[in-house]
Amino acid sequence: MINFVKKHYLIILPIVFIVLIAQMDKYDQLTTSGTFGAAIRLAIPICLAGLGGMFSERTGIVNIGLEGMMIMGTWFGAWAAWLYGPWYGILAGILGGALFGLIHAVGTVTFQVDHIVSGVAINILAAGVARFLNVVAYADQPTQSSTQSPRIDGDVGDFTLPYLSGGADTPSLFGYLQDLNYPFISDIAGLLLGATSNLSYISVFALVLIPVAAWVLWSTPFGLQMRSVGELPTGSESLGVNVYLMKYIGVMISGGFAGLAGAYLVLESSGIYREGQTAGRGFIGLASMIFGNYRPFGIFMGSGLFGYADALQLRSDDAVHGLLILISLILFIFAIKQLIEKKYINSSISIALSIGFLVWFLNSETVPSEFVYFTPHLTTLIVLSSASQKLRMPQKVGQPYRKGELN
Amino acid sequence: MTLAIDLSNISKSFPGVKANDEINLKIQEGTIHAIVGENGAGKSTLMKILYGMLKQDFGSIKIFDSEVNFSSPKDAISEGIGMVHQHFMLADNLSVLESIILGMDKASLKILNKSKYKDEINEITEKYSMPLNTQSMIDELGVGEKQRVEIIKVLFRGAKILILDEPTAVLVPQEVSELFNNLKNLKDSGVTIIFISHKLDEVLEIADEISVMRGGKHIDTVDASTVSKTDLAEMMIGQNLPTPPKREKNSKQDKSLTIKNLTAEIDKGRRAFENINFSINQGEVVGIAGVEGNGQRELAESILGVYPIESGEIILGEKTINDLSTRDRRESGLSFIPEDRQSQGLLMDVSLSENVILGKQSSNKYKSRYSNIKFNEASKNSNTVIENFDVRTPGNNTLALALSGGNQQKFVVGREIENKPSLLIASQPTRGIDIGAQSLIWNKLRDARDDGLGVLLISADLDELIGLSDRIYVIYEGSFVKELDPENATPEILGSYMTGLKT
Repeated sequence: MINFVKKHYLIILPIVFIVLIAQMDKYDQLTTSGTFGAAIRLAIPICLAGLGGMFSERTGIVNIGLEGMMIMGTWFGAWAAWLYGPWYGILAGILGGALFGLIHAVGTVTFQVDHIVSGVAINILAAGVARFLNVVAYADQPTQSSTQSPRIDGDVGDFTLPYLSGGADTPSLFGYLQDLNYPFISDIAGLLLGATSNLSYISVFALVLIPVAAWVLWSTPFGLQMRSVGELPTGSESLGVNVYLMKYIGVMISGGFAGLAGAYLVLESSGIYREGQTAGRGFIGLASMIFGNYRPFGIFMGSGLFGYADALQLRSDDAVHGLLILISLILFIFAIKQLIEKKYINSSISIALSIGFLVWFLNSETVPSEFVYFTPHLTTLIVLSSASQKLRMPQKVGQPYRKGELN
Repeated sequence: MTLAIDLSNISKSFPGVKANDEINLKIQEGTIHAIVGENGAGKSTLMKILYGMLKQDFGSIKIFDSEVNFSSPKDAISEGIGMVHQHFMLADNLSVLESIILGMDKASLKILNKSKYKDEINEITEKYSMPLNTQSMIDELGVGEKQRVEIIKVLFRGAKILILDEPTAVLVPQEVSELFNNLKNLKDSGVTIIFISHKLDEVLEIADEISVMRGGKHIDTVDASTVSKTDLAEMMIGQNLPTPPKREKNSKQDKSLTIKNLTAEIDKGRRAFENINFSINQGEVVGIAGVEGNGQRELAESILGVYPIESGEIILGEKTINDLSTRDRRESGLSFIPEDRQSQGLLMDVSLSENVILGKQSSNKYKSRYSNIKFNEASKNSNTVIENFDVRTPGNNTLALALSGGNQQKFVVGREIENKPSLLIASQPTRGIDIGAQSLIWNKLRDARDDGLGVLLISADLDELIGLSDRIYVIYEGSFVKELDPENATPEILGSYMTGLKT
């Protein structure tokens, strides 16, 4: 138990703080099931993009084209869903993203284009292609527009865990516990209720992909070959691994994940394709991948953090105010940690920031609304920079590889 | 006895070079066959062809009397050929088990049967008595262990023919003898071994037959028990041997460098070196012997001002340079030949005339009054280096990457010596280069020493240390454990201090 806490204190401490802060009435939105439910829905596209990034980078290809592949996912997802129904939308989104993954792979693997250059090109290309396709595909629709699709009908249905969360007209244990309003127990029940009720089947599918991705990469020969290609392509080649093929597959899976993330955005939140819908989530997905140290569950934690902050700012300005004290506390802990490590300068900066946030918290009732929108990004930034964990990226990520080349 | 390998008329050309020219080579099953030759003689190309990494232009390959046609290493592996590369093909981030079984299964989504593989690996390690912990991560292993992983990786694939590319280049003498024992075990159980090297003593010790290559051609194959080292060397370089450097002490009284109680900062819970004391007179070469990773690299870098120190004093000539930046230290007369010429010594994508500026970019030598670079001066000085150090290049506009390793190294050494330093730190000055370039660099270092230059020599090549140094310190786990006179030092004596067997 103590070891578990020591190892995961970065995750556990903030949760404990949040629960403590949520005991004040003003901030009770911090731990309701509604907040957590929204957090999960907002986190999933980012998590999927992050998983996509992981598959690509594990095979050694930097993929900043995730955003573009996600745009393709939104467009194709909306188009196919409009034509045939939501599940086809999901499939088309995945294929659309994978298609752009293929383009990225051709550029970076076969033609040895710099990964960043190719990724930027993908992002620009995708925005243009989406607009072009939109004009062509909906030309004879009354709502014809270059930046929007018609509204998509139909949905994939919801899933609620029976007995624990009240699915299929069974009693809801978590709901009961949440309504009791006991400190701590009710908060945790709220978390679990939010995570297990009214989830669309697409969300369930996306969540299931997280352990599946981990299993593929760490428990199968295919995954071992993929990882080895990002670590040491020459060595893998000499053992008969088809390096180019692995890289192609990795980047295409990456595109598929990003496309799924895009389709999810269309089908889960807006029910319509809109230009600029992805709003940089591909890049935030990349950030969550780095935060998650190129591992699926780490990526889930990173995207969950962003989704949570995002959900808070949507649901309650008051609750965002509560985050100020949370940030102050985290910085304070961090300062003490640095003090122990004798990094005096870093420590004093953290202390100063911590006091700054505390003063802000004590002297205000709400956070200015301009700041509220910025909360998710700011929170992510602060946590990212204070999480000074040891990152281990694949050894040869971003480096070109030519077949038959040694040393 | 059957022939394990029969190569006939193998030719391979690269643009502008004929790497292999009608090679005919026959290797008996169950023998150790050495292939010797200078760098660039075509050994590696031949082995890459044999291992399916390259395709020959002409010629045929027969393995155990059946003609084969490899298009990838996979084909070679399935014919029972395995290769241990000079630079280990191991990813730090994988476990020993994963490294060995990589590529054994088709890339499918079945579950990896790790426990079955583990048992199979343990069987092999016991059979050939090469102990390994399959759970360790590769980056936790030492050099000798990594090599063992490589050999087992190959055996695990059922290799009956083992190609070892310069296997001893990274090992200390004790590890070499352990490797040789393993190889003899393998030979006794019927494995055919091809041993590529340019270290003639080792080749004579381990091999049954020796083939010599020079300039892409197969010169001759001789019996190891009848040939002499001199004959081999002359076949290898096609001329008489360079004379071994003579040893005359020529040191002066003035100190070039004095190190007092130097102690490194704690990094990852340990100090790279501690309490180092020594001095170098002008006109003296002081060698440091040590297994890689015992603090010698950090020591050199701390003198240069790159690695942080906690306490102690570094005195260059009469002047304490502790508080100077690296740039100021270089301008006070410190020069540095880094161990990795490609990543630390040269900008590979840049011409030689610009490369000559490196390390002196801030000095007035190459800076005009308005802080422009004096390209004329750079061009002139690069030509001086090219001429004085016999750098084989079409001109000073050639990019550094177009030069062979030996010529790159000659250029780096030339640049540092031509800067007229008062102290030169030479880290692995002749690593991985051919005999010709090596003897030139040795002579130039010796000349510079005779002109009064103090040299701190760090080298893994023990013969080089003994031949060049006026005094040798052995560093072990961050401390000097022994000072030796090269007159009575041998690689074996050095090796036993370097590995901590003797103290």
